[in-house]
Amino acid sequence: MNRILFLAALAALPALAQDTRDPRQIILEVQKRQHSDSQRYEGTLEVTSQGNQVATKRWVYQRIGSFGNSKAILRFTAPAEVKGVGLLIVNHPDRASDQWMWRPAIGRDQRIALQDRSTRFFGTDFSFEDLEERDVDQYNYKLLSDEGGMWKIESRPRKSSQYEYSYFWIKKDNYTFVRIEAYNKKGLVRTIDYKNYEQIKGIWTARLTEVYDVTRKSHTTLKYEKLEYNLPMKDDDFTLQALRRDL
Amino acid sequence: MMDAGLMLVVLLAQSFEQRGFIEDRAVVYPQTAPNDSGRVVDELLVREEASYKFTPWLTLNGGFDARTDSHRQTARDWTLDATDRSIQRPAFSVRRLSATIHRGKVTAEIGRQLIRWGKTDILNPTDRFAPKDYLSSVVDTDFLGVSAARVTYESGGDTVDLIWQPLFTPSRTPLLNQRWTALPPQAAGVNIVDAGARYPGGSQYGARWNHIGSGYEYSLCFFDGFQNLPSFDATFSPLTQSVSLTREYPDLRLYGGDAAVPLPWLTVKGEAAYFTSSTPGAEEYALYVIQLERQVKEWSFVGGYAGSVVTREAASPLQFAPDRGFAKSFVGRAGLTIDANRSLAIETAVRVGGSFVRFEYSQLFGQHWRATGGVAWIRGDMTDFLGEYRRNSYGSLAIRYSF
Repeated sequence: MNRILFLAALAALPALAQDTRDPRQIILEVQKRQHSDSQRYEGTLEVTSQGNQVATKRWVYQRIGSFGNSKAILRFTAPAEVKGVGLLIVNHPDRASDQWMWRPAIGRDQRIALQDRSTRFFGTDFSFEDLEERDVDQYNYKLLSDEGGMWKIESRPRKSSQYEYSYFWIKKDNYTFVRIEAYNKKGLVRTIDYKNYEQIKGIWTARLTEVYDVTRKSHTTLKYEKLEYNLPMKDDDFTLQALRRDL
Repeated sequence: MMDAGLMLVVLLAQSFEQRGFIEDRAVVYPQTAPNDSGRVVDELLVREEASYKFTPWLTLNGGFDARTDSHRQTARDWTLDATDRSIQRPAFSVRRLSATIHRGKVTAEIGRQLIRWGKTDILNPTDRFAPKDYLSSVVDTDFLGVSAARVTYESGGDTVDLIWQPLFTPSRTPLLNQRWTALPPQAAGVNIVDAGARYPGGSQYGARWNHIGSGYEYSLCFFDGFQNLPSFDATFSPLTQSVSLTREYPDLRLYGGDAAVPLPWLTVKGEAAYFTSSTPGAEEYALYVIQLERQVKEWSFVGGYAGSVVTREAASPLQFAPDRGFAKSFVGRAGLTIDANRSLAIETAVRVGGSFVRFEYSQLFGQHWRATGGVAWIRGDMTDFLGEYRRNSYGSLAIRYSF
């Protein structure tokens, strides 16, 4: 199942004949409507710390494939000192993703170990795990409520994760995520709100994501710009060599 | 309708990437050294890196450094150094000038470039195509580019790297009349003359196979070339009552490997290499590093041990060998990301005869400015690699503008 970023883009086709009481079917329908063979966007992040200090970062994100069988490269374009820093994410259908970070200043790539994925990604309020995409079958689901035009679904990861469970709020009319609350053993860790939905190539897509880190009391807004789906992309551009190749 | 000229500008802009910075770094040494009375050294560096993608498969890369300093460690002439083999640091140097060709599973880079091998962070015994600039510090260094052709084949989890370096690039050593050259007490009063270097001819070759498995990575590598750290040939001149020191670079062959294995609680990384030499009198030895890594919330921890085993002693003790100098050490690093703009780092190396600890605080101001302040403390015996720099503890402040 998509953790955070991918959930920003969701489809809104008329509800098909399905059991809307089965939470797995609901998530499956979300994935189906969100499906695209590739995606590219330019993201602007504003990280606001507890003391209201704001740091702005920008990245370019490209993905090939979809849900549990995809690869993505995310590369910073600003601020100037982190320009070129990249993250390669190789998602697997049956396990957590593989991730490598490339730092051009030292000319080395570094594998991000599974136990380190709860760390914040480059000073933002996203963790490394939040950037990966997981298939629907990597979670168990429970429908908690069905009211106010939204479903509230509990999701528990079957594989290793920093989160014990999460709550999803999904709009019934267009199968789009509205909010996620992610919990660990100690309680609420992160909230994610999806806003400013627009249809792009028939896919309902959030143009703004707000992540709030409960422990640090800081939040990050991610604005999606120049977002496009189903662009022609090559598998060779999503390898470790490709990560190292570009400036 | 967009006119042709504007369209061309837009297309060019999409294919051109650049980054760079201007940094001024001041280092204050509370103590003078026997061969250096200076207490303050200021260095200015302008670095620009750019790439232009001509086609999806062809990219031209360039990197350029311009420097000056207050201590005359950097040359003060207006020539552009394309090989970086000079004893002094050049005022203008080409750090990278290469073409990258990418076709399917093959990537080739030809020209001046930076090549890094190895997985560990503390010390990289297998990193043989990465000479360093030790001129202004042996504990805080930068990498030099090399002129080489590199072909990489990547298929699934396997990568094969083949490198040919026709022109040797040495590591740049501290100048003999400055504090990071630690002369033995017996040299006091002796007129020492820097007689430059004798660079080896011939090419260097290397091959590396890296395999990425599910939850582990390892690689095996081979290198045949020259040691980029010098031995010194000393010649006494009775006429001038002076000793001339000439840098020499023995043959070197390396057999090595590295591995990284993430375990449930931490990541274990290891790297080892065995070095042989056909040069008479050159040392033969093995270097190995084992390190553990862990991230805990905003803290990152790296700790480990770097060891060495000598199988043939060097005939001459006159060597500059920081890779060996940091061996037989427990080394650790801790970093804290305070928030999106601020970070702390502590780094240490502890040996039987000497120790080093550095503390750094860094803060970003706005989108472009960063200030980094640090303190380094070095202690030990004069017979120890670290201890011989015990008068070189320092405080530093660097201001960087990135663009």
